[in-house]
Amino acid sequence: MYLADMDMPGMAHAKVLRSPFPHARIVSIDASAARALPGVVCVLTRDEVLADSTIDPYYGYVYRDVPIVAIDKVRHEGDIVAVVVAEDEETAEDALELIDVEYDELASVMDIDAAMAKGAIQVHEVFKPIAPELRPVEGTNICHHSTLAKGDIEQGFREADHIFEDSYSAPAVQHCALELHGCIASVGDDEITVWTNCQSPFPLRGELQRMFNKPARVIVPYVGGGFGSKSRDRLEAVVVAAAKLAGRPVRLLLTQEETFQTFIRPALTCTVRTGVKSDGTIVARHHRFAVDVGAYSISGARSANNTLKVATGPYRIPHVLVECDAVYTNKPPSAPYRGLPTTQHTMAYETQLDRIANELGLDPIELRMKNLLVEGDVHVTGDLLRSVHAKDCLEKVSSSLGPQLKGEAVASNGTIRGRGFSCSIKYTITPSEPTLATEAGVELQEDGLFEIRIGTVNMGQGVDTMAAAIGAEAVGVPIESVRILHSDTALVPQDHGTTASRATFHTGNAVLDAGTKLRAELLSTASDLLEEDEVRLELSAAGVAVAGSSGRSVSFVDIARHRGGSLLAKGECWVGGVYTDESGKEYPIASTFWTFGSVGAEVEVSRETGEIRVLRIAAAANVGKAVNPEQTKAQLEGGVTFDLGPSLFERLVWGDGGQLMTTTLMDYPLPTLHTMPEFHVDLLEFPYDQGPYGANGVGEMGGVMVPAAIINAVYDATGVLFHEVPLTPETVLAGLEATGA
Amino acid sequence: MQLELTLNGKTERREIAPHHTLLDVLRDDFNLKGTKGYCHSGVCGACTVLLDGKPISACIMLASQTQGKSITTVEGLAEGENLHPVQRAFVENFGLQCGYCTPGMLLLTVALLEENPEPSKEEIVDYLGGNICRCTGYANILKSVQAAAALVKEASL
Ligand code: FES
Ligand code: FES
Repeated sequence: MYLADMDMPGMAHAKVLRSPFPHARIVSIDASAARALPGVVCVLTRDEVLADSTIDPYYGYVYRDVPIVAIDKVRHEGDIVAVVVAEDEETAEDALELIDVEYDELASVMDIDAAMAKGAIQVHEVFKPIAPELRPVEGTNICHHSTLAKGDIEQGFREADHIFEDSYSAPAVQHCALELHGCIASVGDDEITVWTNCQSPFPLRGELQRMFNKPARVIVPYVGGGFGSKSRDRLEAVVVAAAKLAGRPVRLLLTQEETFQTFIRPALTCTVRTGVKSDGTIVARHHRFAVDVGAYSISGARSANNTLKVATGPYRIPHVLVECDAVYTNKPPSAPYRGLPTTQHTMAYETQLDRIANELGLDPIELRMKNLLVEGDVHVTGDLLRSVHAKDCLEKVSSSLGPQLKGEAVASNGTIRGRGFSCSIKYTITPSEPTLATEAGVELQEDGLFEIRIGTVNMGQGVDTMAAAIGAEAVGVPIESVRILHSDTALVPQDHGTTASRATFHTGNAVLDAGTKLRAELLSTASDLLEEDEVRLELSAAGVAVAGSSGRSVSFVDIARHRGGSLLAKGECWVGGVYTDESGKEYPIASTFWTFGSVGAEVEVSRETGEIRVLRIAAAANVGKAVNPEQTKAQLEGGVTFDLGPSLFERLVWGDGGQLMTTTLMDYPLPTLHTMPEFHVDLLEFPYDQGPYGANGVGEMGGVMVPAAIINAVYDATGVLFHEVPLTPETVLAGLEATGA
Repeated sequence: MQLELTLNGKTERREIAPHHTLLDVLRDDFNLKGTKGYCHSGVCGACTVLLDGKPISACIMLASQTQGKSITTVEGLAEGENLHPVQRAFVENFGLQCGYCTPGMLLLTVALLEENPEPSKEEIVDYLGGNICRCTGYANILKSVQAAAALVKEASL
């Protein structure tokens, strides 16, 4: 059951009044006519929010910059101005038109350059940072500026024989998870209950408790795809405030157009300067990037900051400088997006690498082989890399595509074919504090079955199957003996959120820990009951038996009864702080694990129409251990097709007045079966010492290398190297024309 | 108005608002939540149901237009505990991840195999090419449809 399929007794329905302007001061709001409409329960505006002294009107984990409803001004088209609660959606919709809002329009900043220009109007006049790592630049729209350095960048460029500099850009796009965002809230005297399709129930609970000064419970039903758009919340506080005012449960379901005004993948621009020796050895890299976080920094500044760690790629580079700016604009707030901005960084450094190869007369694959990180290398962050195998991934994709035949480059129908490769490195969200450990529970229950309790949200990525497989294996019972309970903050232990390919590693490790502890408890209880030494005992589906043919055993039902009805073991996973190698040397842990992979693309470009067809995609990633190979492959394939959209045609476009022009699927096409290439997906299994059974996370690895590989394949085919996506037919034709290719 | 139709093989009558879409009426008046909506403009295919055996988008058809007709939704596929062969094929071939596009994909596949029991890859791509899936990357959907064709054929032998 998904959120929109749920009903609550006494439930009322909400609709949201949104700003028509990207930036404006609110002069006045008159909702009296809406309130008077029969069937309207209440209308929530800034007046009601400010009048309730028990509510903090602002929320946010990174910056406390998001008002429940607009207070002084609106900051993007679609910003929430008022909420109508009515007996049914149609009445609520009708009432929206009766609300009179007077705006005083302000100048707006719609892209990174405008927002960073001297004297640009400020989207937020005051910064309200919460997270300690944030470095806002007062008086500007830069809500976070940070750097990461290694070696001496100037020295590095002095050592280089050649220096290459290129700038890149990628526009905003939307996730288009088919299940639309929605939320149901009910506010009782002593508890708030929220049903939502948000991927991070525990952080959300904490924030609601703080804002509304009341214990909260967050329940996440089955989620119909998120891809990052549901990793952070935007609606829950709005619906809770509306439900509090209404005095009954309230449901808000967004339309597809509204989701485009709620969360988007941010636009990004970057400049990469790379110094190389004549033999292709990379000696220095300066990577500067800016991320358009939109009107509110719900997660934008933090995700931008996180990718400093991977911005220079999976390469050994002695001298590195990375600089990041997260910039407020009058666009909708940004949300993580299947690996963003790793995808854009990869696009930049990997396509530049092909230019370097071409200009130095080197083979692109050999150039990569020469520079790729290997086991035992120390990353820019200072982390000691253990399970890398990036070269194996590249070799794998190159061999899956097979030898490039001479003459294949020119197909008979006037199109040209080409091949391109890319490699990448991905980090995972790594909580700095042990208090943010991922927890799990495994409980033997009265009926002799095992319940695995996890905080991870299930949205089709196979987390249930993974947890069941690991839990059953750890306890030593068949998978049929376990069941899963997840995503209700009142019933399951805490998890930091289902994001950044974390689930297998963190949840898996926590389940493994709990299962191992439970197994020890089961054996010791059985040993007491059977008066037999533990080493002689064996587990099966039915219970614990004495090895050999004595036939003496005790069932799980009896063990549970003996232990007072049930037996619970708790486990946790927190990998952070420092890693100590065999010799006792210590290394920082900037990411719990690092994932390496490679993608190869074969494309066909039409000189006449500029159209690109992606014929084949080979992908390989080092997964450590494939807990569920079919599911993991399916996730990688899903990621590849997903990123074909932003590579080839997806792009959100705003008009001159700051209004979104691409509001429906008519003007915002998505990949279909027609877009799907032929896949060659390989999972490499080089165990990771800290992963459950050697596994690490790979969920987002599929798509991140796709735009880079496609651009390189088009370069190979046409000799034109593009510095932007999407590669629409118009862009391609213009590029071919400009260079006379 | 009074709507009378054959819904998943049974004659049903309901008082409905004449301006409501078939998607709304199926979900709210008949409480059949299996049919999903996303774009509500006839583009994504999430709301696909069968009208007299032919696939249509329930979000852009008024329920009143189905007066006296026969509608099949995903709830009408399985017989009790027994999954329809097309459903089995999707489950066995990882043809779904989040499952949101699945009801539409299943009904399209049923209609396709009804028209063309042995579709080629190109015919499958053409027939299902209008329906969006954001999770699977489509490879396993293609595989599932091919497997479904084999299963349906087997079942009819
Ligand atoms: S919801 Fe009907 S076609 Fe998209
Ligand atoms: S399985 Fe999620 S949209 Fe298709």
